[in-house]
Amino acid sequence: MRGRINAGLVIGGVLVGLVVLLALLSFGWTPRDPVLVDAAAKLHEPGGGYLLGADKFGRDTFSQLMVGARTTLYVGVVAVGIAAIIGTPLGIIAGMTSGRLGWLSELIMRVNDLVFAFPALLLAIMLGAVYGAGTLTAMIAIGVATVPAFARVSRAATMQVMVTDYVLAARAAGRRRTAVALRHVLPNISSVLIVQASVSFAIAILAEAALSFLGFGTRPPIPSWGRMLQESQELLFSTPRLALWPGLAIALAVLGFNLLGDGLRDYLDPKLRRIRAER
Amino acid sequence: MRRVGTWIAVGGLLLSMSACGGGGGSDPESTGEQPAKAEALSVGFVAEPANLDFTATEGAAIPQALLVNVYEGLVKLDQDGKIQPLLAEKWEVSEDRKTYTFTLRQGVTFTNGAPFTADDVVFSLDRVKSDWKLKIKSQLDMIKDVEKKDDTTAVVTLDRPSNGFLYTMATRLGAMFSRTGVADLANQPVGTGPYKLGEWRRGDSIRLDANPSYWGTKPAIPGVTLKYFKDATAMNNAQLTGGIDVISSVQAPESLQQFADPNRFETIEGSTNGEVVLSMNNARPPFNDKKVRQAVRHAIDHKALLDTAWAGRGQLIGSMVPPTDPWYEDRTGDYPYDVAKAKELLGGKTYTVKMRIPNLPYAVAGAQVVKSQLAQVGITADIEPLEFPARWLDLVFTKGDYDLSIINHVEPRDMSIFANKTYYFGYDNPEYGKLLASADQGSEQEQVDDLKQAAKLLSEDAAADWLFGFPNLIVAKKGITGLPKNAISESFDFTGLAQQ
Repeated sequence: MRGRINAGLVIGGVLVGLVVLLALLSFGWTPRDPVLVDAAAKLHEPGGGYLLGADKFGRDTFSQLMVGARTTLYVGVVAVGIAAIIGTPLGIIAGMTSGRLGWLSELIMRVNDLVFAFPALLLAIMLGAVYGAGTLTAMIAIGVATVPAFARVSRAATMQVMVTDYVLAARAAGRRRTAVALRHVLPNISSVLIVQASVSFAIAILAEAALSFLGFGTRPPIPSWGRMLQESQELLFSTPRLALWPGLAIALAVLGFNLLGDGLRDYLDPKLRRIRAER
Repeated sequence: MRRVGTWIAVGGLLLSMSACGGGGGSDPESTGEQPAKAEALSVGFVAEPANLDFTATEGAAIPQALLVNVYEGLVKLDQDGKIQPLLAEKWEVSEDRKTYTFTLRQGVTFTNGAPFTADDVVFSLDRVKSDWKLKIKSQLDMIKDVEKKDDTTAVVTLDRPSNGFLYTMATRLGAMFSRTGVADLANQPVGTGPYKLGEWRRGDSIRLDANPSYWGTKPAIPGVTLKYFKDATAMNNAQLTGGIDVISSVQAPESLQQFADPNRFETIEGSTNGEVVLSMNNARPPFNDKKVRQAVRHAIDHKALLDTAWAGRGQLIGSMVPPTDPWYEDRTGDYPYDVAKAKELLGGKTYTVKMRIPNLPYAVAGAQVVKSQLAQVGITADIEPLEFPARWLDLVFTKGDYDLSIINHVEPRDMSIFANKTYYFGYDNPEYGKLLASADQGSEQEQVDDLKQAAKLLSEDAAADWLFGFPNLIVAKKGITGLPKNAISESFDFTGLAQQ
């Protein structure tokens, strides 16, 4: 049984696809060297080899956006990866343990609440101040801060799966807990996780941009959308396009991942599918 | 979904940081377009003093507000860096240049009503030794004795001849205090200056009112408000909307384009004592090799760097001397931009170095240009911005764990830092130290000659690279005159302010 392809899924998919395409393309080709400082091209108007113009260092904005997309995706993938790899097993363990082992579930979820209560931006700035700002510390901070989201979602989904007949049957047949978790629970909560990953990705993009804006993210001169915004701040009144393009890129990428997440949820959620079928 | 809210809130915060501001209460007198003579002006600053006692608290914010305006010394620095009389009408220097006899101005009173006499000179200079808590007080260590000859004559005896003595007397260390006015320096400054403290609204502003009993020419603007902003963009916006009349120091030079309208604003560009230094760690490879350091100096196109990183504002200097010092010489010709020469000096070798910079606007901008230009000669510089001041001071300044760094050395007459081989530059040339020592004890002409020689040696040794002299950028409403073009002393001098 398949869900219906919805508009959100398509638009989200296209936007995300565009970002991925730009990022992949930047590995092999950019119109110009995105980090080469060229005083002669300072604030070059759009056109004449500079598709979207150049910044105050004479660096091509479009090339920077392309490499910036790479930075953005890189941070998103690693941060969400960290969150999923740590958060999902914790959530599943918490969801599967009850009764005699109920304290374990409680412990995991309360620690989870602690992390959840800690502002992610503060964590990132703290890590940046102690270990030096950079893409790696930003990714780790954003990833750790996103762990609770994955843990909570997977715990709730696991608890639903644990009361289904096939899991009861498997347990009655004496299958070990790990086997149940891997064979029955994980595949059945994967759709929820995919949706969560997509939404978290959007948050990670915003977080990276905010951190780079504050000077705690990607190190200069590696292009990053957030730092492009920050560098354009003093030129906001005279050359607004410098802030417009990275701002637009961030907005569209975040929108894309959010729409993709919502679209995937609608597509994968059996309840919504049934409602549609009844109509 | 709560998380999305968090990040959106952050985004909103960032936006509001740049959008808000300008909410400052403006005096109706100062914002009106009418030609009526101004009664009050407000000037925007970025760093508010924690208290008003510069004898016990470090930092530039307190003398910036109070020195010359509220407190006066026996002498002061003029706009060209020359020493001029202030509370001393004149002074005589003995043959051996160890005794200074100051003749004091008569009829001067402190704002607490006490008359200013030679007793106050003795009191103030003795107090530097006994009560001041600043590290820089050692700059007056050469004083052996201060004596009152009569009410208007004070005699200062030095250990050794020193060219630095009179200059230091023009800084905060030479400020004159009343014997009966030092009880609450942190809140109640008592000086002889043209202004006295009016009202201090903590976290917002300090108002200085004209001192009615001032001995000299009364200031044309009887009320000056120093308004403090946490954020440069907020200060710019306040200036645009009329909340303040003057920006004391523009923090982002590209934003000057907002003030380009000559009918509304005037931009004043002068120099400061700041040298933006590309520090090279002389104490360890690869920059312990003079040839590599020389290659770096040849590899950097300073003009292009200044144009892109700091909007072309500032002056190319080439050594550790700002243009306002008497021994300034343009040393930019020592290492002209020459990529081929740089490559030749490196002999085909390539290097990867750590560029640890403070996370300050000029350093982050400058570092990206330096990296791009060094890449062309085969030096890969990994930029690592560090939180300033704490982390940069710890790693780079104290521990010396860096290869390249960029910092604006703002202290006046700070060539001597290169004479200290434990300083973070790691520069060690005994010849340089000798030149500096002989400069301080020689005649004035010898001082100038020796220091020129020292600056040349520093440049030729490529002890560091000097990216540019930091500019003093002031934006004022049209018609405001008397602003100090060059920021060469510690104070922001309001005494000449006027509005047409």
